[in-house]
Amino acid sequence: MTEKNDLIIRIAGEGGEGIVSTGDFIAAACARAGLEIYTFKTFPAEIKGGYCLYQVRTSAERVYNQGDTFDVFVAYNGEAYELNKHLLTPGTTFVYDGPGGDFEPEIPEGVTAYAIPMSKTAKALGSYRSKNMVALGALSVLFNINETTLIEVLTNKFKPKGEDILEFNLKAFAEGKKLANEHKKTDDFRVADATGTKDVILIAGNEAVGMGAILGRLEFFSAYPLTPATEVAKYVSAQLPKTGGTLIQAEDEIASMAQVLGASYAGKRSMTATSGPGLALMSELIGMSTMAELPALIVDVQRGGPSTGLPTKHEQSDLFLAVHGGHGDSPRIVLSVEDVNDCVNMTVAALNLTEQYQCPVIMLSDGSLAFSTQTIPTPDPDSFEIVERTRWDGEGEYMRYKMTENLISPMADPGTPGGEHVAASLEHTESGAPNFAPEPHEANARKRFNKIKPVIDQWPAAEMDGVEGEADVGIITWGSTIGVAREAVARLVAEGKKVKAMYPKLIYPMPVDQYEAFAATCKQILVPEVNYQGQLSHFIRAETSIKPVPYTICGGLPFTPAQIVNKVKEIS
Amino acid sequence: MVSATFNKIEMKPKEYKSEIKPVWCPGCGHHGVLASVYRAMSELGIQPSDFINISGIGCSSRLPYFVKSYKMHTLHGRAGAVATGTQLARPDLPVVVSGGDGDGFSIGGGHMPHMARKNVNMTYVLMDNGIYGLTKGQSSPTSRREMKAYITPYGGVEEPLNPILYMLTYGATYVGQAFAGNPKMCAALIKGAIEHKGFAYVNIFSQCPTFNKLDTAKFYRGLVEEVPEDHDTSDMENAMRLARRPDGKAPVGLLYQEDRQTLDEAMAGLVELVGGSADYDLKKIIDKNRP
Repeated sequence: MTEKNDLIIRIAGEGGEGIVSTGDFIAAACARAGLEIYTFKTFPAEIKGGYCLYQVRTSAERVYNQGDTFDVFVAYNGEAYELNKHLLTPGTTFVYDGPGGDFEPEIPEGVTAYAIPMSKTAKALGSYRSKNMVALGALSVLFNINETTLIEVLTNKFKPKGEDILEFNLKAFAEGKKLANEHKKTDDFRVADATGTKDVILIAGNEAVGMGAILGRLEFFSAYPLTPATEVAKYVSAQLPKTGGTLIQAEDEIASMAQVLGASYAGKRSMTATSGPGLALMSELIGMSTMAELPALIVDVQRGGPSTGLPTKHEQSDLFLAVHGGHGDSPRIVLSVEDVNDCVNMTVAALNLTEQYQCPVIMLSDGSLAFSTQTIPTPDPDSFEIVERTRWDGEGEYMRYKMTENLISPMADPGTPGGEHVAASLEHTESGAPNFAPEPHEANARKRFNKIKPVIDQWPAAEMDGVEGEADVGIITWGSTIGVAREAVARLVAEGKKVKAMYPKLIYPMPVDQYEAFAATCKQILVPEVNYQGQLSHFIRAETSIKPVPYTICGGLPFTPAQIVNKVKEIS
Repeated sequence: MVSATFNKIEMKPKEYKSEIKPVWCPGCGHHGVLASVYRAMSELGIQPSDFINISGIGCSSRLPYFVKSYKMHTLHGRAGAVATGTQLARPDLPVVVSGGDGDGFSIGGGHMPHMARKNVNMTYVLMDNGIYGLTKGQSSPTSRREMKAYITPYGGVEEPLNPILYMLTYGATYVGQAFAGNPKMCAALIKGAIEHKGFAYVNIFSQCPTFNKLDTAKFYRGLVEEVPEDHDTSDMENAMRLARRPDGKAPVGLLYQEDRQTLDEAMAGLVELVGGSADYDLKKIIDKNRP
């Protein structure tokens, strides 16, 4: 058997045992060694403790998703073992806390097992908290994790906390190595060798949205804590003051959205980030953003719903809310990101679009992407175009809602003499004066819908994947499911299947012609998405002539490539 | 807001009238409040383009339409929260919220404590008529219990709240009260509120002759009594005592004023703390995520 170095290591145990830091250290060390990273995490909804899982996928090639299952499973405790033992299939490798842990596993036939007395060794070292360092040392030996970069990462982390702390952790790390060296390596799993430093950063989805906001020259952010979106505000709160901007924590999501509109009226590039429950609360004010034509970016990091639902779990079920949430005819632009790279670049683009079109822009991320750390090319701040709102030139009489040729009415910042106007929540005339007659309402409804239509041509055409020409199955999917579909399509094409795919990121207004042209080359259309109703399928049926086959799951987890591969085979 | 920070202009009160005529009923107290706003602006010499007037929904929330200024007519209950964003975005300009008792203390009640405790540097003028007028006369958080209203035909079942006592408790740094029938006092309080650095709350009894037949102008005239001349406006405890007089009388005048750091000052402090500026090297921020 040849060595497998597109490697997936799953680490699980009790929250607070250093699961996340172990995973982060491995990811950072591999990224430093020039490898690609895609991590997947699930957190307990409990305040302290609870089952916690961190999966690192690393390869010399780009990785697009968390993978089907693990190659290596590391159990910190008995609960983690119990929850994952059904996945210990022949060919997998199992590393566990023992002897001296809280469980005695049965090793299934065909599974390679390495017992590492993590707890016992940590206690002997004088601190149970060093358990993750013992584990890390063992894993570095067992799976060829680059020791040079790992030590660098540990030094960067612990040195600022004190030489003694660094020394202690390195000692625990060395103990772990020693324990692993007592085993004879009998499996073929090893992390790919260092490929030399690449110009990359390692960042999670939520932080990446925050970075995009900074690069998009955000000036105002109003936050309200909501899982799994809060890290966006955490990042922005630390960085925005550096560029002279303001982040405020509001009293609720309604106030957040209100403050965003208030700051936008005052001429500032403004945004908020929330999850489904917050987006629901913001609906009325998002309607005001449409009516008063006030730029505003809302990032929705989706989670399982409805109601409080599954706060820490993955779901793509806010598409209806994003596109149609709110009363009245209230158009907005809806985007969805595929991966961490998109989280940076599309946040910049979304800020530009909301300024350009003076309408709400909702950008959808999701629970698995929120916490997934990935290696991405280091963004170049000078490479981003910054689009500003059209401002009044000061000529003639100012009409805030003037019917211009492109339907974009120039805005005037407070303080501009002659530009005094009302941001109108009521239907209005071109000056902004309230008016409830039939004609202005119909004209303005047309204006609000038609002014955003050019975004369909402005936005890059949806990416196509898979075979050229006719296909038996065409996949259309969105959000982080795109990354899963990419791998599924590659596997199917490698098997000789005639499969292609389309990956829309501009969700609304819908690029109908692109959907139709794609579907015309496919015998059938499969739409995998992580929600019960098949929300994108629903929009496709409503807006195009396509009759897609929905493929929906809603178990709180993302798709695996294998699931999509199997479904395509099933229907073709 | 401190008056010295914006460009002064000489304009008569009536020159602040916009092209839109007030839509309120004859005899409505809000006419008096509007006149007081014009007067305060004139006395302060505010340029219309430097003034931001923000409202929610209700009869009183129509006020900004009648004032030459930048303005936002927002959603029911949300004026204060919207204005907080505007004020933080443009701390150099005076921001004034106009609203009513239902807008401010019912649907918008959740925002009131936070504007006050955060000391958002703006003025909140609440026109308290003890009724929902725009929806034709439902009881509001300041309606008297004995009032029979649109959907309380047998009389009220709830006690009214005391706006100024709330605002004192929430941490407003300027709290005043007046009666719309005394535009001079209203104008003086609004002017003082705009000049005040911090969150200024002005409660104005403003009769609704159409729907609130209990709280008439005559009633308010008998209800109010001027804050004693010897009241020390830095004395919170006495301000609270005045706000809940055992004889039920309502104090008018300035009850409380305090100098405290405003939210925008605190925010500017954060920028200073991290050495922030618009031309900060973004590469330094990006480099934090190198593995």
